[in-house]
Amino acid sequence: MTAEAIQNPKAGDGVRHSLRTQVLENRPVNLDGFVEEWPEVGMVAMDSPFDPQPSVRVENGVIVEMDGVERADFDFIDQFIADKAISAEVAEQAMALSAQDIARMLVDPAVTRQEVIAVTNGLTPAKLLAVAKNLNIVEIMMGMQKMRARRTPANQGHCTSARDNPLQVACDAAEASIRGFSEVETTLGVVRYAPLVAMAQQIGSQVGTGGPLTQCALEEATELDLGMRGITGYAETISVYGTEPVFVDGDDTPWSKAFLAGAYASRGIKMRFTSGTGSEVQMGNAQGKSMLYLEIRCILIAKGAGVQGLQNGSISCIGVPGAVPAGIRAVAAENLIASSVDLECASGNDQSFSHSPMRRTARLMPQMMPGTDFVCSGYSTMPNYDDMFAGSNLDSDDYDDFNTIQRDLQIDGGLRHVKESEILAVRTRAAQALQAVFRYLDLPPITDAEIDTAVYADGSKELIPRDVLEDLKGAQQVMDRNVTGLDLVKALEATGFSDVAENLLAVLRQRVSGDLLQTSAILTKDLQPLSAVNDANDYAGPGTGYRPSGARWEEMKKLRHVTSASNPEVEVE
Amino acid sequence: MTVSTNTQDGQRAISFKEVGRAERGKRSDEVVLAISPAFATLFSKTIVDLPHAEVIRQVLAGIEEQEVTARIIRLQHSADLALMAHTAAKLSGSGIGIGILARGTAMIHQRDLPRLSSLELFPQSPLLTLETYRSIGSNAAQYAKGESPEPVPTLNDQMARPRWQAKAALLHLKETELVRKGAPTVEVVPEFSAASV
Repeated sequence: MTAEAIQNPKAGDGVRHSLRTQVLENRPVNLDGFVEEWPEVGMVAMDSPFDPQPSVRVENGVIVEMDGVERADFDFIDQFIADKAISAEVAEQAMALSAQDIARMLVDPAVTRQEVIAVTNGLTPAKLLAVAKNLNIVEIMMGMQKMRARRTPANQGHCTSARDNPLQVACDAAEASIRGFSEVETTLGVVRYAPLVAMAQQIGSQVGTGGPLTQCALEEATELDLGMRGITGYAETISVYGTEPVFVDGDDTPWSKAFLAGAYASRGIKMRFTSGTGSEVQMGNAQGKSMLYLEIRCILIAKGAGVQGLQNGSISCIGVPGAVPAGIRAVAAENLIASSVDLECASGNDQSFSHSPMRRTARLMPQMMPGTDFVCSGYSTMPNYDDMFAGSNLDSDDYDDFNTIQRDLQIDGGLRHVKESEILAVRTRAAQALQAVFRYLDLPPITDAEIDTAVYADGSKELIPRDVLEDLKGAQQVMDRNVTGLDLVKALEATGFSDVAENLLAVLRQRVSGDLLQTSAILTKDLQPLSAVNDANDYAGPGTGYRPSGARWEEMKKLRHVTSASNPEVEVE
Repeated sequence: MTVSTNTQDGQRAISFKEVGRAERGKRSDEVVLAISPAFATLFSKTIVDLPHAEVIRQVLAGIEEQEVTARIIRLQHSADLALMAHTAAKLSGSGIGIGILARGTAMIHQRDLPRLSSLELFPQSPLLTLETYRSIGSNAAQYAKGESPEPVPTLNDQMARPRWQAKAALLHLKETELVRKGAPTVEVVPEFSAASV
């Protein structure tokens, strides 16, 4: 059953309606849910009368009052933020600026990114909220254009399968790589499948151009284990929350999350936290604060923990801010604030958001137009029915629309159109590499018929079913035999996939140099790290900063159907 | 089947009469069903407008068709589904309990399992139909008899989030407002009446 099958309650109310009303009733947007604001419980986007007023007081180098709360009355989030995220040295000076002045600094191209960060280092959550409230959606985008940490925007994809089929994930990861994604992530329906699917994604992503980093969203200990083994390349699903009760419900504190972050850093593994507007009210513990205020607390927890970045933009709670007035403005503002405190921002657009194609696009534009570190923190690289993150705002059906919007507006969302023959080639190569590695490691066999089906498939419905029980035994073997990323390199090298082996080894070597621990780090197609260190955003107004040009712009001009100017009877190849 | 899953053929209302504190049952052939504070009090239907009366009728019919008896309890101090279902299981003579929130979210639990590790969880309230509730009752009864039924098939719809997530949050918040700390869990009996439509 889809939501469309649910009858609209207004349909049979016995009142005569105009035909136009009927047409409008049947528009997809009316399948979305909208609710009235209720500030007392935090059902409000960014403007609650119960949000605190900004204040700070510093004594002997320690913040002793923040946003109207005395240090003795701090909850553990206040304490963590006051001690770890805000610079006590500059706090009083920065807080003396008016919110409007700081908002203008964000928008003014004559003020550099570094100058803004020098101020945001000293701002409290309530002050950052006050700054955001001064910005309309266009100003938020102006700010994001400058405050994004990495000069070059990028994109991240989901690679999952409703049947947890490793072969499908390998093929889609290879296609995602050649289409331009810089990171791909997977998760599972049946968690025990994780080792095989994560391996498949790691191998598939390094076929062809190579370079994308991979992660597997799992329970935290298993996720860390796979990362340490080198079966994944980064981690993202480390969630933080804006109120103490919600944190405690998850048996966590900001310090325990920081400890986990340290575990990843100790192995040179890239990681970011995850948070988003709406999670606290969704769990019934928003303490009457607006969604954006609570999210700002999460952003500062990430900063205080010392992680390089944050995935935010409501993420799995998008239906909550999406249902209240100015909710999508608040979601864009949370991305901007993450960037403005010098964090990498993987900016959402990664969960099913609306039945309306217009609304889906409108929700995407505040990130896609200015560019963010990752415009989507999960574009479904397969049909949404296969998306085990519960669907994305964009899926594989949208590839051509997305590429056309990039070309229309000359904005870079990180993707490109690729000829079918090239896509089929990398999907085939990925499938064969996975087949060879499974055979080499004595895992359940992959047949040539399975490969043929998977290469040409759109989604899991078309695949030949795997023997799930045998696969799960194989997955357990991978864990028991302590298979690592290096074992995958050896297997690829020994079975004639030296090019894939070399790409994968280059990715694994990054954890020795630690270059991927820098803010906003990705690997280029040449397997070179690209981060805020060697690709710092230098936007300073018209004519500056990143603009699609040269080879990248030529690549963006290509679409599936473009009429040739030299011979209008044919299309451009 | 004697109980129809068509809601159109009789709009019933339901209320619950308290009959005392909830006690541990002695019959090994019973399932205990826990309802939440707002169930058939503040709210009368689930998030997708299934009448609470019909939901209860279907769950009870599902239990009955397995020749198992049912008791109903109401929690007043919590609207935490896992706690509700686990409490029902612990009070159940068979060790099997069901929890249902006012918005429709449901869970089958067993006494000996950890609270957060249920037998079957039905997290997406908008996708639960009257057939689902009947199957939930039937499966719970089969567990009570020591059988191992196939889990109740559930629907999946990724577009449930944009349509229902915020309403679910509102319903949860309203239900939570009815929670009274320290109030006892009580045994109740359903009273059906034809609604004055």
